[in-house]
Amino acid sequence: MKSSTLLFRSLAIVILIAGSAHLVSYTSIHSENSKSKLKLKEGVDTNSEINSTENSSAAEIKNQEGFDNTTDYIIGKWKVNYHSKDFNGAVIYDLKKEQHIFNAYTYEYQDQNGNTEHAKSSKILSIEKFDGHKGEGIYNIEYEGKQYDVPCTIDMIDENTFKLSYDYYGYSDTETWKKL
Amino acid sequence: MIELLSKKLNWLDVEYWFYILNDLSLIYIILPFFVLELIRYAYLKRLTKDLILDSIANIITFGAFFIIEIVLGLLAITKVYFWLYNNFSLPHLELNLVTIITCVLLADLAYYWEHRMMHRIGIGWATHTVHHSSPHFNMSVAYRFGPLDAILPILFSLPIVLLGYDPILVLLSEIFVQVFQTLLHTEIIGKLVKPVEYIFNTPSHHRVHHGSNKQYWDKNYAGILIIWDRILGTFEPEVEKVKYGISEPLDSNNPIKVFFHGLTRLYDKVKKTNGLKNKILVFVKPPDWESK
Repeated sequence: MKSSTLLFRSLAIVILIAGSAHLVSYTSIHSENSKSKLKLKEGVDTNSEINSTENSSAAEIKNQEGFDNTTDYIIGKWKVNYHSKDFNGAVIYDLKKEQHIFNAYTYEYQDQNGNTEHAKSSKILSIEKFDGHKGEGIYNIEYEGKQYDVPCTIDMIDENTFKLSYDYYGYSDTETWKKL
Repeated sequence: MIELLSKKLNWLDVEYWFYILNDLSLIYIILPFFVLELIRYAYLKRLTKDLILDSIANIITFGAFFIIEIVLGLLAITKVYFWLYNNFSLPHLELNLVTIITCVLLADLAYYWEHRMMHRIGIGWATHTVHHSSPHFNMSVAYRFGPLDAILPILFSLPIVLLGYDPILVLLSEIFVQVFQTLLHTEIIGKLVKPVEYIFNTPSHHRVHHGSNKQYWDKNYAGILIIWDRILGTFEPEVEKVKYGISEPLDSNNPIKVFFHGLTRLYDKVKKTNGLKNKILVFVKPPDWESK
């Protein structure tokens, strides 16, 4: 077989295989983005614009129509302190209700000297089940540069504090979330 | 179906699957199969001292190869692969089933080409001849490696990293291809059903690859899929009884001699060849090439 035939055949195979992987990856990322946008939009409609209350106080949220007193009191900003070699400081999360699910997004970083930096909003936690005292969800952790979605549990200590715990293949931790 | 294939996966889960398929395969399939082969050899009265010493030499060469592989592999993965992946690769692919399956397919194609190069260039054959020098054919032969066997796979898998695949996934896929290949080194299994023999590399196809019979030379390079050989013109079915080994037999079970004989033969050839240009060509031309 001629070398040029070998080259073209091999290249065609590589393009076909890698191309399909990129196509699926691209489609999946884009459909995920549009789904979350749609969810966000629906959440705004059904929950009387609870999602647009980023800057509202807790009192304002409570006054809104459709507010569930048993569970929705967790909506708002939460602070978590981290003391590791990678990061020493605190992260503020914005917890929102979107289509009956509570999602927490990164909001702000604070270093140990109190300096703050606005964070790019990315979803870090989804509380899928919550009865007002205990909950279950998916927590996104980063380990050695890779992102992992790990199952987690939520345990309310009081209205302003909850413990978030996970144990994934022996890698476990408990974080304390404080309401702002 | 598409949703299942494109569902985002967790790294820990994927690493766990590969741990079961790659690492644990030695315990649940390779070792039991090798014991079965030894029983078969004993039953056929072929369990000779030569076969036992050959198997021991195979395992020792694997130990030596493994040390070199660890050093080169770690350097390649932690430094070169990640540097290329972070600076020059196509958009990074999401971790899902399609990414894993296509990565294994590409690792398999890369294996085909690096394997073909090992046979078709002087320096490649100088190290890969170690694997082919055993006159026997069993699972221990799969572990018979030469000193530079780890280099070409690293070079040939670099393009996969550049295509946007995570370097760790590429490494795990390469090991998976290698583990699949290991299972083909047996005389116990005859020919399988036609569709399997048509698509996959099987013990029958790989026996051909190890044959020293003239018509079997440089055939069936595949790792998992024999279709690469069919598409790229190197397929040969098993017809004549296979004579294992190389055209110039080694006749030694000394692990050091086994491990280095390819390089010493290459050195002798370079020494005998006249002219600097010809000496260099010995490294890159096919192993049977002679200067005029």
